Amino acid sequence: MNRALAALFGTLCIAFGSHAQSDAPNVPILSGALAFIGSTTAGATTYQPILAPVLLVPIGDKWLIESRADIQGFFAREDGTTGPYNGQFFANLDYLQLDYIVNSHLTITAGRFLTPFNFYNERISAVWIANLEDSPIIFPIGTRTSASSNGGMLRGAAISRPAWSLNYTAYFSATSTTENLQSGRAAGGRAGIFIPRLGLEVGGSYQRFLQNGDSNQSGAYVVWEPRQIPLDVRGEYAHSPGGKGYWLEGAYRLASSRTVSGPVSRLQVVARVQQFFKGNPAPEDLLPSADVNQFDFGLNYYLPHDVRLNGSYGRAYSSAGNFNVWNFAVTYRFVFPAWPGEKQ
Amino acid sequence: MFLGIALLTCSLRLVSRAQTPATQQNTGKENKNDAEEGEKRFRENCGRCHMPPESLSPREVKAVVRHMRVRAMLTAEDERLILKYLAP
Repeated sequence: MNRALAALFGTLCIAFGSHAQSDAPNVPILSGALAFIGSTTAGATTYQPILAPVLLVPIGDKWLIESRADIQGFFAREDGTTGPYNGQFFANLDYLQLDYIVNSHLTITAGRFLTPFNFYNERISAVWIANLEDSPIIFPIGTRTSASSNGGMLRGAAISRPAWSLNYTAYFSATSTTENLQSGRAAGGRAGIFIPRLGLEVGGSYQRFLQNGDSNQSGAYVVWEPRQIPLDVRGEYAHSPGGKGYWLEGAYRLASSRTVSGPVSRLQVVARVQQFFKGNPAPEDLLPSADVNQFDFGLNYYLPHDVRLNGSYGRAYSSAGNFNVWNFAVTYRFVFPAWPGEKQ
Repeated sequence: MFLGIALLTCSLRLVSRAQTPATQQNTGKENKNDAEEGEKRFRENCGRCHMPPESLSPREVKAVVRHMRVRAMLTAEDERLILKYLAP
């Protein structure tokens, strides 16, 4: 018993006490966001309160346990545009993964993770990050079922030079129909080249979906963020048997540099154009049943204390009918230690 | 056995952090350079996707940067320098 306790203490001391190597302590944190989104699409208004907690537990210098849940309500009128509001709450586990950092070139991930197809899902789909609250039309391509995968993943920077780097992911996922933990059977990968001097990244994705009749999904993306100007240009292209399309988004903060320097510099103007061309979509593809052209225009205001206000207007043109999309959102991003300790 | 290893490891780390006055000046300059390079890498990598949180306490930094290392596929050097910038 004593030996077991000593072993446990020793392991914990090595794991959690290893902060001496980098000075900063290994403290688990609770992060994430609280958000409230009001949306009117084709005259139907919905309200979504959202809590998206993120738990990060670093262990030693090589390990990380990370998880994000998505607890949200959905309130809409009984008959779409008329009648009393009814609603319910849903919970979903976006990811719960164990990461082992072998070295700068390889990290091994096991568990449930965000499917790394193109970059939107992994990098900017979080409610406190996305410039516009609505996901792009082509988002389900490569991420269908739940946008999460259950399985294993390898990732890292295959080549890292001061002038450029080549990053990659390769993964497989098993089928899961468990409530809140759905995933599809699939395998795929992504590779991107990042040039820091230009703030430019271009990359491509491929996925083989291994159920419902095997099918291929492919995609490409570009992210350009010049160093000196607070301009973000992002875009994706994706192709699947259900359809293909692209989106291109530009966001500019009204400032002369990337630093927030006054009230006006907290205002960001966003515009997005997207086109979708229908293929042979199945209902589970979650893709439109007709071609769609859509543009969106939005304003984000970054208030102090990590609060963001967002408003946007969009117009969709489709052979199934044209319609307007209005969104309003307020988001509060939080982060605090999940482990008691002294204030520093 | 494990307890012994743990105590030895902690002791060695504490000893390795002890510095002579002659080396402290150089270390201070290196830390400043590291922090500047860390800020550059923070803006290049983390700032590509999102605005940085308004404030991060030193207790929160390591978990955040470890998360970013996995998510943004940072190298060990990126992680070290960004930690120097966020928790000097």
